[in-house]
Amino acid sequence: MDFVSYAIEGNDFKAAGAASRAIKEHLKRIGADADAIRRTMIAAYEAEMNVVIHADRGRLEASLSDRAVNVNVIDEGPGIPDIRRAMKEGFSTATSEARALGFGAGMGLPNIQRNSDRLRVSSRVGEGTRISFTVMLKPAATADEQLISLYASAERCIDCHRCLSACPTGAMRVLNGQPSVLEHLCIDCTCCIAACAPHALTLEDDVDALEHVERPSEAVLALPPALLAGFGEHAGVARVLDELGHLGFASLAGVRPYEEALRAAALEHVGGVGAMHPVISPVCPAVMQLVELRFPSLLPHVAPFESPWEALQADADGQRLACVVSCPSQRSALLAAAGLGGAEVVDLPTPGLVRRAVLPALAVGRDQAASGTEDSGEPRADGVLHVSGVTHVLAVLEQIENGLLTSVPVVEPYICDGGCFGSPLLEEDPAVALYHSAHAGAGADGAGRAVPRRRPRTARPGIRLDADMAAAIQKLSQLDELTRSLPGKDCGACGAPTCAALAEDIVMGRAERSLCPYVEQPEVATS
Amino acid sequence: MKLADIIQTLSLEELTPQLADAADTEVTQGYASDLLSDVLAHAPSGGLLVTLQVHLNVIAVASHADLCGVIFASHRRPEDEVIAKAAEEGVALFVSGDDTFDVVGRLYQLGVKGTAA
Repeated sequence: MDFVSYAIEGNDFKAAGAASRAIKEHLKRIGADADAIRRTMIAAYEAEMNVVIHADRGRLEASLSDRAVNVNVIDEGPGIPDIRRAMKEGFSTATSEARALGFGAGMGLPNIQRNSDRLRVSSRVGEGTRISFTVMLKPAATADEQLISLYASAERCIDCHRCLSACPTGAMRVLNGQPSVLEHLCIDCTCCIAACAPHALTLEDDVDALEHVERPSEAVLALPPALLAGFGEHAGVARVLDELGHLGFASLAGVRPYEEALRAAALEHVGGVGAMHPVISPVCPAVMQLVELRFPSLLPHVAPFESPWEALQADADGQRLACVVSCPSQRSALLAAAGLGGAEVVDLPTPGLVRRAVLPALAVGRDQAASGTEDSGEPRADGVLHVSGVTHVLAVLEQIENGLLTSVPVVEPYICDGGCFGSPLLEEDPAVALYHSAHAGAGADGAGRAVPRRRPRTARPGIRLDADMAAAIQKLSQLDELTRSLPGKDCGACGAPTCAALAEDIVMGRAERSLCPYVEQPEVATS
Repeated sequence: MKLADIIQTLSLEELTPQLADAADTEVTQGYASDLLSDVLAHAPSGGLLVTLQVHLNVIAVASHADLCGVIFASHRRPEDEVIAKAAEEGVALFVSGDDTFDVVGRLYQLGVKGTAA
């Protein structure tokens, strides 16, 4: 990381270019390619001229790494009242002096945008403007082609664009209902998959049914612990394994032992020679991709081990593996590892295929459990199910409501992701604070006790469409019909969070159907 | 086309003779504009610029846009300070008595093309 910081004086046309020239020298020194240098220079120079032409003074700051150059130009100037207009080529408020010199043709901001890979402009009228841009120094396509395990289906895409903001690396694109991913930015995580309601984004599948795995009787079916423990409490891990044993595979293997071994190895590595602290455990291949992409300086912190899946593949030398991975990053890691010896990865069935294969058998067990023959077990005295984050809390509460968590003695739900440590009002990341808190000892907390509730908790009145039951039923059918007539994109353009919410607002007289930008509008009579 | 041949054919006055190596530069593209942002946006890398602007910022623009040289048309002549800066930045400077249109026309005849060609 290198750094350039320069003061820029308003109206000083002669000195303009000094800051961008300094960046150029740095870029040359780190061996950036000529095109990237040229683009950075043009953008930086325009940003500098922007200050010279419009502001009293400003400052250019640039930080460089071997991957990207980030430039911030902050000025004390009149500000830009309408940034969108300023971004249009030809729009200018420059002085005649600037114009005489060949500037102020309204090309500055468009020029910066054209030459940078990311541009942000913020401005306050009367206070100043901040222009931040990034130029990637490494060309988009690297020599090693990035293997990506995300599957994007144009057929299922509803053009809602939620994946765009969900992606932590800005890799998603949706054009005319066609989702695609920029492979050089994708880290194979699951953020877009989680955000995609119609399942247009999912894990690339290699086989369409578990029966179609090549020669199963000669293959080991390898499974993640979360899948084995994911069939409800009437079907414990042992029962799931038992059912999976009937699928015709030579044997079953679990990833958990490799996870535990990695944890132990990472802890041991802490005291090792040359270990950078904190040691980052390479347990998640997606996080490793993120480190490689965005935090390359942290690579020395990563414990020098394979991820659990890769370790399992390396260890099962000479065997044929069918790996049921639970995310794209594990699939990509395994495919990349397959060239390095170890087991042959014959197939990568998705978790959904495994569920489909064993669920019918396990469903029988569900009835037995209900009739008391299954040893669903007494609630354990010491079990606490910790759940945090609104999505997970909702899911757990739903499971409780559906009677699916009867063997859990205590559920400790927190609405904030990471518990109270994860409140957005606290600045430290919950994981970091939680760690420090756990290692701080009892401290000056003193003793506490449980205090009985003094005011009863009561149900809040539900969402009633009408006080009159008959009218409510009528409105309900209206609501159904309306919901179906809306596009189902849940885009939010109408001001309601979902199409169903807009339908309810319309039925309740809080909104008009014309608010939906996708519903065909009645033609306006022209005079 | 070598810059040396262009200098000779167009009878250009060299302002930066200290850039001895410049004459050997192969020139295939050029650009003509007095709007410096336009030059930044569109001038081809390694190209030759024809302009009426003679102030210091022209040198910064030429350098940032990776241009090999600048021809000032219509007898325009920059100040010594500008010439010194250009020499420092490795941007060759020339003066022509012809106007922009004629300079460009003659360059084109020599095979120096614009960005579209």
